[in-house]
Amino acid sequence: MDWNPLFLTFKLALVTTLLLFVVSIPLAYWLAYSKSKGKPILEAIVSLPLVLPPTVLGFYFLVAFSPNNAFGRWLEQWFGVQFVFSFTGLVIASILYSLPFMVHPIQSGLSSISPSLKEAAYVMGKSRWETLTKVLLPNIRPSLLTGVVLAFAHTVGEFGVILMIGGSIPGKTKVASVMIYEEVEALNYDNANFYSGILLVTTFVILVVVYLVNGGYLKRFFK
Amino acid sequence: MQYAMEELVAEFSNESGIPSQMVIGASGKLAAQITSGAPFAVFVAADTKYPEKLYQNGLCLAPPRVYAHGKLVLWTTRAAIAPNVNILDSKAIEHIAIANPTLAPYGKAAMEFMGNHQLLEKVRHKFVYGESIAQTNQFIVSGSADIGFTAQSVVLYSQLKRLGKWAPLDTSQYTPIAQAVVLLKNTELQEKRAEKFEKFLFSPKAKKILENFGYTVVK
Repeated sequence: MDWNPLFLTFKLALVTTLLLFVVSIPLAYWLAYSKSKGKPILEAIVSLPLVLPPTVLGFYFLVAFSPNNAFGRWLEQWFGVQFVFSFTGLVIASILYSLPFMVHPIQSGLSSISPSLKEAAYVMGKSRWETLTKVLLPNIRPSLLTGVVLAFAHTVGEFGVILMIGGSIPGKTKVASVMIYEEVEALNYDNANFYSGILLVTTFVILVVVYLVNGGYLKRFFK
Repeated sequence: MQYAMEELVAEFSNESGIPSQMVIGASGKLAAQITSGAPFAVFVAADTKYPEKLYQNGLCLAPPRVYAHGKLVLWTTRAAIAPNVNILDSKAIEHIAIANPTLAPYGKAAMEFMGNHQLLEKVRHKFVYGESIAQTNQFIVSGSADIGFTAQSVVLYSQLKRLGKWAPLDTSQYTPIAQAVVLLKNTELQEKRAEKFEKFLFSPKAKKILENFGYTVVK
Protein backbone atom coordinates (compact mmCIF):
# COMPACT_ATOMS: atom_id res chain seq x y z
CA MET A 1 0.00 0.00 0.00
CA ASP A 2 1.27 3.46 -0.92
CA TRP A 3 1.40 5.64 2.19
CA ASN A 4 2.73 8.65 0.34
CA PRO A 5 -0.63 10.34 -0.37
CA LEU A 6 -1.64 10.11 3.29
CA PHE A 7 1.74 11.36 4.40
CA LEU A 8 1.45 14.30 1.97
CA THR A 9 -2.04 15.14 3.17
CA PHE A 10 -0.94 15.39 6.79
CA LYS A 11 2.25 17.22 5.88
CA LEU A 12 0.23 19.76 3.90
CA ALA A 13 -2.27 20.16 6.73
CA LEU A 14 0.51 20.58 9.30
CA VAL A 15 2.51 23.16 7.34
CA THR A 16 -0.65 25.05 6.43
CA THR A 17 -1.90 25.09 10.02
CA LEU A 18 1.43 26.33 11.40
CA LEU A 19 1.66 29.16 8.88
CA LEU A 20 -2.02 29.99 9.27
CA PHE A 21 -1.63 30.25 13.03
CA VAL A 22 1.11 32.84 12.64
CA VAL A 23 -0.85 34.80 10.02
CA SER A 24 -4.21 34.58 11.73
CA ILE A 25 -3.36 35.95 15.16
CA PRO A 26 -2.50 39.49 14.01
CA LEU A 27 -5.36 39.34 11.51
CA ALA A 28 -7.90 38.22 14.11
CA TYR A 29 -6.50 40.75 16.60
CA TRP A 30 -7.04 43.56 14.14
CA LEU A 31 -10.51 42.32 13.21
CA ALA A 32 -11.52 41.99 16.86
CA TYR A 33 -10.33 45.39 18.06
CA SER A 34 -10.09 47.70 15.07
CA LYS A 35 -12.68 50.40 14.52
CA SER A 36 -11.44 51.12 11.01
CA LYS A 37 -13.92 51.69 8.19
CA GLY A 38 -12.13 49.12 6.08
CA LYS A 39 -12.90 46.33 8.54
CA PRO A 40 -16.05 44.99 6.83
CA ILE A 41 -14.08 44.65 3.59
CA LEU A 42 -11.33 42.62 5.24
CA GLU A 43 -13.91 40.54 7.11
CA ALA A 44 -15.63 39.78 3.83
CA ILE A 45 -12.35 38.79 2.20
CA VAL A 46 -11.50 36.46 5.08
CA SER A 47 -14.93 34.81 4.83
CA LEU A 48 -14.91 34.43 1.03
CA PRO A 49 -13.40 30.93 1.00
CA LEU A 50 -16.38 29.75 3.07
CA VAL A 51 -18.80 30.78 0.37
CA LEU A 52 -16.92 30.33 -2.87
CA PRO A 53 -16.80 26.89 -4.45
CA PRO A 54 -13.25 25.49 -4.34
CA THR A 55 -13.38 25.42 -8.12
CA VAL A 56 -13.45 29.23 -8.18
CA LEU A 57 -10.34 29.41 -6.02
CA GLY A 58 -8.70 26.65 -8.02
CA PHE A 59 -9.50 28.33 -11.29
CA TYR A 60 -8.10 31.69 -10.18
CA PHE A 61 -5.01 30.06 -8.76
CA LEU A 62 -4.47 28.11 -11.96
CA VAL A 63 -4.67 31.28 -14.03
CA ALA A 64 -2.77 33.47 -11.55
CA PHE A 65 0.08 31.01 -11.07
CA SER A 66 0.46 30.31 -14.78
CA PRO A 67 3.77 31.55 -16.21
CA ASN A 68 1.71 32.62 -19.24
CA ASN A 69 0.74 35.90 -17.61
CA ALA A 70 2.68 38.76 -16.06
CA PHE A 71 1.62 38.03 -12.46
CA GLY A 72 2.61 34.39 -12.66
CA ARG A 73 5.98 35.27 -14.18
CA TRP A 74 6.54 37.90 -11.49
CA LEU A 75 5.76 35.36 -8.78
CA GLU A 76 8.14 32.89 -10.30
CA GLN A 77 10.98 35.40 -10.60
CA TRP A 78 10.38 36.94 -7.19
CA PHE A 79 10.13 33.71 -5.23
CA GLY A 80 12.21 31.56 -7.55
CA VAL A 81 9.68 28.72 -7.45
CA GLN A 82 6.78 27.82 -9.64
CA PHE A 83 3.58 27.70 -7.62
CA VAL A 84 1.42 25.66 -9.92
CA PHE A 85 2.09 21.90 -9.71
CA SER A 86 4.21 22.28 -6.58
CA PHE A 87 3.84 21.60 -2.88
CA THR A 88 4.53 25.29 -2.17
CA GLY A 89 1.59 26.20 -4.40
CA LEU A 90 -0.65 23.81 -2.50
CA VAL A 91 0.41 25.39 0.80
CA ILE A 92 -0.35 28.92 -0.45
CA ALA A 93 -3.72 27.81 -1.81
CA SER A 94 -4.55 25.91 1.39
CA ILE A 95 -3.72 28.92 3.56
CA LEU A 96 -6.30 30.99 1.72
CA TYR A 97 -8.74 28.11 1.56
CA SER A 98 -8.64 27.44 5.31
CA LEU A 99 -8.16 31.05 6.42
CA PRO A 100 -11.68 31.64 7.87
CA PHE A 101 -11.49 28.41 9.85
CA MET A 102 -8.52 29.75 11.78
CA VAL A 103 -9.39 33.46 11.92
CA HIS A 104 -13.05 33.22 12.95
CA PRO A 105 -12.61 31.24 16.20
CA ILE A 106 -9.66 33.40 17.29
CA GLN A 107 -11.50 36.59 16.41
CA SER A 108 -14.62 35.63 18.32
CA GLY A 109 -12.48 34.45 21.22
CA LEU A 110 -10.74 37.81 21.40
CA SER A 111 -13.97 39.78 21.14
CA SER A 112 -15.67 37.77 23.84
CA ILE A 113 -13.13 38.22 26.63
CA SER A 114 -13.85 41.11 28.93
CA PRO A 115 -12.10 44.35 27.90
CA SER A 116 -11.19 44.89 31.56
CA LEU A 117 -8.56 42.17 31.29
CA LYS A 118 -6.79 44.03 28.52
CA GLU A 119 -7.23 47.38 30.25
CA ALA A 120 -5.86 46.02 33.51
CA ALA A 121 -2.78 44.76 31.71
CA TYR A 122 -2.23 48.14 30.10
CA VAL A 123 -2.66 49.93 33.44
CA MET A 124 -0.04 47.63 34.93
CA GLY A 125 2.31 48.90 32.24
CA LYS A 126 2.34 45.83 30.02
CA SER A 127 3.05 46.41 26.35
CA ARG A 128 0.59 45.36 23.65
CA TRP A 129 2.75 42.39 22.77
CA GLU A 130 2.95 41.21 26.38
CA THR A 131 -0.77 41.76 26.84
CA LEU A 132 -1.44 39.66 23.77
CA THR A 133 0.91 36.80 24.57
CA LYS A 134 0.53 36.70 28.35
CA VAL A 135 -3.05 37.78 28.92
CA LEU A 136 -5.23 37.54 25.84
CA LEU A 137 -4.03 34.36 24.13
CA PRO A 138 -3.87 32.26 27.32
CA ASN A 139 -7.44 33.31 28.01
CA ILE A 140 -8.74 32.10 24.68
CA ARG A 141 -7.01 28.71 24.61
CA PRO A 142 -10.19 26.86 23.59
CA SER A 143 -10.65 29.23 20.63
CA LEU A 144 -7.04 28.74 19.58
CA LEU A 145 -7.43 24.99 19.77
CA THR A 146 -10.66 25.14 17.77
CA GLY A 147 -9.00 27.29 15.12
CA VAL A 148 -5.97 25.05 14.84
CA VAL A 149 -8.00 21.87 14.61
CA LEU A 150 -10.61 23.21 12.20
CA ALA A 151 -7.93 24.60 9.90
CA PHE A 152 -6.05 21.30 10.06
CA ALA A 153 -9.15 19.19 9.43
CA HIS A 154 -10.38 21.46 6.67
CA THR A 155 -7.02 21.21 4.89
CA VAL A 156 -7.07 17.42 5.23
CA GLY A 157 -10.46 17.54 3.52
CA GLU A 158 -9.33 19.84 0.75
CA PHE A 159 -9.95 18.49 -2.71
CA GLY A 160 -11.23 20.79 -5.43
CA VAL A 161 -8.47 23.36 -5.27
CA ILE A 162 -5.73 20.75 -5.14
CA LEU A 163 -7.23 18.83 -8.03
CA MET A 164 -7.17 21.96 -10.15
CA ILE A 165 -3.66 23.22 -9.41
CA GLY A 166 -1.81 20.16 -8.15
CA GLY A 167 -1.34 18.06 -11.24
CA SER A 168 -1.49 14.87 -9.16
CA ILE A 169 2.28 14.35 -9.07
CA PRO A 170 3.12 11.32 -6.90
CA GLY A 171 5.05 12.35 -3.81
CA LYS A 172 4.60 16.05 -4.50
CA THR A 173 0.99 17.02 -5.00
CA LYS A 174 -0.94 13.75 -5.04
CA VAL A 175 -2.67 13.98 -1.67
CA ALA A 176 -5.05 11.40 -0.23
CA SER A 177 -8.26 13.11 -1.37
CA VAL A 178 -7.04 13.20 -4.97
CA MET A 179 -5.80 9.62 -4.69
CA ILE A 180 -9.23 8.50 -3.46
CA TYR A 181 -10.95 10.29 -6.31
CA GLU A 182 -8.69 8.60 -8.84
CA GLU A 183 -9.09 5.18 -7.26
CA VAL A 184 -12.88 5.54 -7.40
CA GLU A 185 -12.66 6.52 -11.06
CA ALA A 186 -10.45 3.54 -11.76
CA LEU A 187 -13.14 1.43 -10.03
CA ASN A 188 -10.56 0.27 -7.46
CA TYR A 189 -13.01 0.45 -4.61
CA ASP A 190 -10.78 -1.54 -2.25
CA ASN A 191 -8.00 1.03 -2.42
CA ALA A 192 -10.46 3.92 -2.22
CA ASN A 193 -11.93 2.29 0.85
CA PHE A 194 -8.54 1.92 2.47
CA TYR A 195 -7.57 5.59 2.13
CA SER A 196 -11.07 6.84 2.92
CA GLY A 197 -11.23 4.70 6.04
CA ILE A 198 -7.96 6.07 7.35
CA LEU A 199 -9.04 9.66 6.71
CA LEU A 200 -12.43 9.04 8.32
CA VAL A 201 -10.99 7.51 11.46
CA THR A 202 -8.16 10.04 11.89
CA THR A 203 -10.33 13.11 11.43
CA PHE A 204 -13.01 11.65 13.69
CA VAL A 205 -10.48 11.03 16.45
CA ILE A 206 -9.05 14.54 16.10
CA LEU A 207 -12.49 16.11 16.36
CA VAL A 208 -13.51 13.98 19.33
CA VAL A 209 -10.33 15.00 21.16
CA VAL A 210 -11.06 18.68 20.51
CA TYR A 211 -14.61 18.47 21.78
CA LEU A 212 -13.42 16.52 24.81
CA VAL A 213 -10.81 19.14 25.63
CA ASN A 214 -13.02 22.13 24.89
CA GLY A 215 -15.96 20.70 26.75
CA GLY A 216 -13.80 20.30 29.84
CA TYR A 217 -14.56 16.56 30.00
CA LEU A 218 -10.93 15.64 30.36
CA LYS A 219 -10.35 18.06 33.23
CA ARG A 220 -13.37 16.75 35.07
CA PHE A 221 -12.30 13.20 34.36
CA PHE A 222 -8.86 13.69 35.89
CA LYS A 223 -10.10 15.56 38.96
CA MET B 1 -14.86 13.43 -27.22
CA GLN B 2 -16.99 16.16 -25.69
CA TYR B 3 -16.87 18.50 -28.69
CA ALA B 4 -17.58 15.87 -31.32
CA MET B 5 -20.37 14.52 -29.11
CA GLU B 6 -22.03 17.91 -28.84
CA GLU B 7 -22.31 18.03 -32.59
CA LEU B 8 -23.39 14.40 -32.85
CA VAL B 9 -26.09 14.74 -30.21
CA ALA B 10 -27.41 17.97 -31.73
CA GLU B 11 -27.57 16.32 -35.14
CA PHE B 12 -29.26 13.21 -33.72
CA SER B 13 -31.91 15.21 -31.85
CA ASN B 14 -32.52 17.24 -34.97
CA GLU B 15 -32.87 14.22 -37.22
CA SER B 16 -34.85 11.91 -34.95
CA GLY B 17 -36.85 14.44 -32.96
CA ILE B 18 -35.77 12.65 -29.79
CA PRO B 19 -34.65 15.20 -27.21
CA SER B 20 -31.30 14.04 -25.90
CA GLN B 21 -29.32 15.25 -22.99
CA MET B 22 -25.64 14.77 -22.64
CA VAL B 23 -23.78 14.31 -19.38
CA ILE B 24 -20.08 14.92 -19.79
CA GLY B 25 -17.45 13.40 -17.56
CA ALA B 26 -14.38 11.23 -17.35
CA SER B 27 -15.19 7.70 -18.55
CA GLY B 28 -14.24 6.21 -15.19
CA LYS B 29 -16.44 8.55 -13.22
CA LEU B 30 -19.42 7.94 -15.48
CA ALA B 31 -18.86 4.19 -15.33
CA ALA B 32 -18.82 4.38 -11.53
CA GLN B 33 -22.08 6.33 -11.62
CA ILE B 34 -23.69 3.86 -14.02
CA THR B 35 -22.62 0.97 -11.79
CA SER B 36 -24.42 2.71 -8.94
CA GLY B 37 -27.61 3.02 -10.97
CA ALA B 38 -27.35 6.34 -12.83
CA PRO B 39 -30.26 6.41 -15.29
CA PHE B 40 -28.31 6.83 -18.54
CA ALA B 41 -29.42 5.18 -21.75
CA VAL B 42 -26.20 5.25 -23.75
CA PHE B 43 -22.58 5.33 -22.64
CA VAL B 44 -20.24 6.80 -25.23
CA ALA B 45 -16.76 6.30 -23.85
CA ALA B 46 -13.35 7.47 -24.96
CA ASP B 47 -11.98 3.99 -24.54
CA THR B 48 -13.10 0.37 -24.47
CA LYS B 49 -12.10 -0.54 -20.92
CA TYR B 50 -15.04 0.99 -19.07
CA PRO B 51 -17.78 -0.09 -21.53
CA GLU B 52 -16.33 -3.59 -21.37
CA LYS B 53 -16.43 -3.53 -17.57
CA LEU B 54 -20.07 -2.40 -17.55
CA TYR B 55 -20.94 -5.12 -20.02
CA GLN B 56 -19.29 -7.77 -17.85
CA ASN B 57 -21.28 -6.48 -14.90
CA GLY B 58 -24.47 -7.14 -16.83
CA LEU B 59 -25.51 -3.51 -17.11
CA CYS B 60 -25.68 -3.39 -20.90
CA LEU B 61 -28.03 -4.65 -23.62
CA ALA B 62 -25.26 -5.77 -25.96
CA PRO B 63 -21.46 -5.94 -26.11
CA PRO B 64 -19.67 -2.63 -26.67
CA ARG B 65 -19.01 -1.57 -30.25
CA VAL B 66 -16.07 0.55 -31.38
CA TYR B 67 -17.34 3.62 -33.20
CA ALA B 68 -14.06 5.47 -33.78
CA HIS B 69 -10.32 5.53 -33.19
CA GLY B 70 -8.87 8.66 -31.64
CA LYS B 71 -5.52 10.26 -32.32
CA LEU B 72 -2.96 11.78 -30.03
CA VAL B 73 -1.43 15.25 -30.51
CA LEU B 74 1.08 17.48 -28.75
CA TRP B 75 -0.36 20.88 -27.89
CA THR B 76 1.11 24.07 -26.44
CA THR B 77 -0.15 27.60 -25.86
CA ARG B 78 3.34 28.95 -25.18
CA ALA B 79 4.46 31.27 -27.95
CA ALA B 80 8.11 30.31 -27.61
CA ILE B 81 7.56 26.57 -27.90
CA ALA B 82 7.13 24.61 -31.11
CA PRO B 83 5.33 21.35 -30.41
CA ASN B 84 7.39 18.33 -31.35
CA VAL B 85 8.71 15.21 -29.69
CA ASN B 86 12.34 16.30 -29.60
CA ILE B 87 11.84 19.27 -27.32
CA LEU B 88 10.18 17.25 -24.55
CA ASP B 89 13.48 16.51 -22.82
CA SER B 90 14.92 19.98 -23.42
CA LYS B 91 15.32 22.56 -20.67
CA ALA B 92 12.63 24.77 -22.18
CA ILE B 93 10.00 22.32 -20.97
CA GLU B 94 9.36 22.22 -17.25
CA HIS B 95 5.95 20.57 -17.11
CA ILE B 96 4.30 18.16 -19.52
CA ALA B 97 0.55 17.71 -19.06
CA ILE B 98 -0.72 14.22 -19.58
CA ALA B 99 -4.00 12.52 -18.71
CA ASN B 100 -3.72 10.00 -15.87
CA PRO B 101 -2.62 6.85 -17.71
CA THR B 102 -4.53 4.49 -15.45
CA LEU B 103 -7.78 6.40 -15.99
CA ALA B 104 -7.65 7.96 -19.43
CA PRO B 105 -6.83 6.19 -22.70
CA TYR B 106 -5.07 9.24 -24.11
CA GLY B 107 -2.76 9.26 -21.11
CA LYS B 108 -1.96 5.60 -21.65
CA ALA B 109 -1.28 6.22 -25.35
CA ALA B 110 0.98 9.15 -24.49
CA MET B 111 3.01 6.93 -22.16
CA GLU B 112 3.32 4.30 -24.84
CA PHE B 113 4.38 6.94 -27.34
CA MET B 114 7.12 8.30 -25.09
CA GLY B 115 8.23 4.80 -24.23
CA ASN B 116 8.67 4.06 -27.93
CA HIS B 117 10.79 7.20 -28.27
CA GLN B 118 12.98 6.17 -25.28
CA LEU B 119 11.82 9.37 -23.57
CA LEU B 120 9.75 8.02 -20.71
CA GLU B 121 12.42 7.87 -18.01
CA LYS B 122 14.03 11.10 -19.19
CA VAL B 123 10.88 13.18 -18.86
CA ARG B 124 8.80 11.38 -16.24
CA HIS B 125 9.65 13.98 -13.57
CA LYS B 126 8.07 16.66 -15.75
CA PHE B 127 4.65 15.02 -15.89
CA VAL B 128 1.62 16.65 -14.35
CA TYR B 129 -1.45 14.46 -14.44
CA GLY B 130 -4.94 15.57 -15.35
CA GLU B 131 -7.63 13.30 -13.95
CA SER B 132 -9.27 13.42 -17.37
CA ILE B 133 -8.40 14.68 -20.82
CA ALA B 134 -10.52 17.77 -20.05
CA GLN B 135 -8.37 18.67 -17.07
CA THR B 136 -5.23 18.02 -19.07
CA ASN B 137 -6.54 20.57 -21.56
CA GLN B 138 -7.01 23.07 -18.71
CA PHE B 139 -3.36 22.72 -17.78
CA ILE B 140 -2.31 23.32 -21.38
CA VAL B 141 -4.70 26.16 -22.20
CA SER B 142 -4.01 28.07 -18.97
CA GLY B 143 -0.32 27.77 -19.81
CA SER B 144 0.42 26.22 -16.42
CA ALA B 145 2.04 23.32 -18.24
CA ASP B 146 4.40 24.17 -21.08
CA ILE B 147 3.10 21.46 -23.36
CA GLY B 148 0.84 18.46 -23.17
CA PHE B 149 -0.65 15.42 -24.84
CA THR B 150 -4.30 15.60 -25.80
CA ALA B 151 -6.83 14.25 -28.27
CA GLN B 152 -6.86 15.53 -31.80
CA SER B 153 -10.60 16.12 -31.51
CA VAL B 154 -9.86 18.83 -28.95
CA VAL B 155 -7.52 20.89 -31.08
CA LEU B 156 -9.79 20.52 -34.11
CA TYR B 157 -12.75 21.96 -32.21
CA SER B 158 -13.65 25.27 -33.83
CA GLN B 159 -13.38 27.39 -30.70
CA LEU B 160 -9.99 26.04 -29.71
CA LYS B 161 -8.52 25.85 -33.20
CA ARG B 162 -6.69 29.14 -33.04
CA LEU B 163 -5.38 28.57 -29.53
CA GLY B 164 -1.68 27.79 -29.51
CA LYS B 165 0.00 25.27 -31.76
CA TRP B 166 -0.35 21.54 -32.06
CA ALA B 167 1.40 18.75 -33.89
CA PRO B 168 0.04 15.34 -34.86
CA LEU B 169 2.09 12.36 -33.68
CA ASP B 170 3.22 9.35 -35.63
CA THR B 171 0.31 6.92 -35.28
CA SER B 172 2.62 3.92 -35.64
CA GLN B 173 4.18 4.80 -32.27
CA TYR B 174 1.11 4.14 -30.15
CA THR B 175 -1.95 1.91 -30.22
CA PRO B 176 -4.83 3.84 -31.78
CA ILE B 177 -7.35 4.77 -29.13
CA ALA B 178 -10.39 2.60 -29.71
CA GLN B 179 -13.54 4.28 -28.42
CA ALA B 180 -16.64 2.24 -27.74
CA VAL B 181 -20.32 2.79 -27.15
CA VAL B 182 -22.69 0.60 -25.13
CA LEU B 183 -26.44 0.66 -24.70
CA LEU B 184 -27.46 0.50 -21.07
CA LYS B 185 -30.37 -1.30 -19.51
CA ASN B 186 -33.11 1.22 -18.93
CA THR B 187 -36.85 1.59 -19.51
CA GLU B 188 -38.23 0.08 -22.72
CA LEU B 189 -38.74 3.51 -24.28
CA GLN B 190 -35.22 4.63 -23.42
CA GLU B 191 -33.73 1.39 -24.71
CA LYS B 192 -35.52 1.86 -28.05
CA ARG B 193 -34.28 5.41 -28.32
CA ALA B 194 -30.78 4.33 -27.38
CA GLU B 195 -30.81 1.79 -30.20
CA LYS B 196 -31.72 4.59 -32.60
CA PHE B 197 -28.81 6.62 -31.31
CA GLU B 198 -26.40 3.76 -31.81
CA LYS B 199 -27.67 3.31 -35.35
CA PHE B 200 -27.13 7.01 -35.94
CA LEU B 201 -23.60 6.84 -34.51
CA PHE B 202 -22.65 4.34 -37.21
CA SER B 203 -24.39 6.24 -40.03
CA PRO B 204 -22.40 8.02 -42.78
CA LYS B 205 -23.49 11.37 -41.40
CA ALA B 206 -22.10 10.68 -37.95
CA LYS B 207 -18.93 9.22 -39.43
CA LYS B 208 -18.44 12.45 -41.35
CA ILE B 209 -18.70 14.47 -38.13
CA LEU B 210 -16.25 12.14 -36.38
CA GLU B 211 -13.80 12.43 -39.26
CA ASN B 212 -14.00 16.20 -39.12
CA PHE B 213 -12.81 15.90 -35.54
CA GLY B 214 -9.83 13.84 -36.62
CA TYR B 215 -11.18 10.41 -35.68
CA THR B 216 -10.61 7.38 -37.83
CA VAL B 217 -13.84 5.52 -38.47
CA VAL B 218 -14.53 2.09 -39.92
CA LYS B 219 -15.85 2.57 -43.42
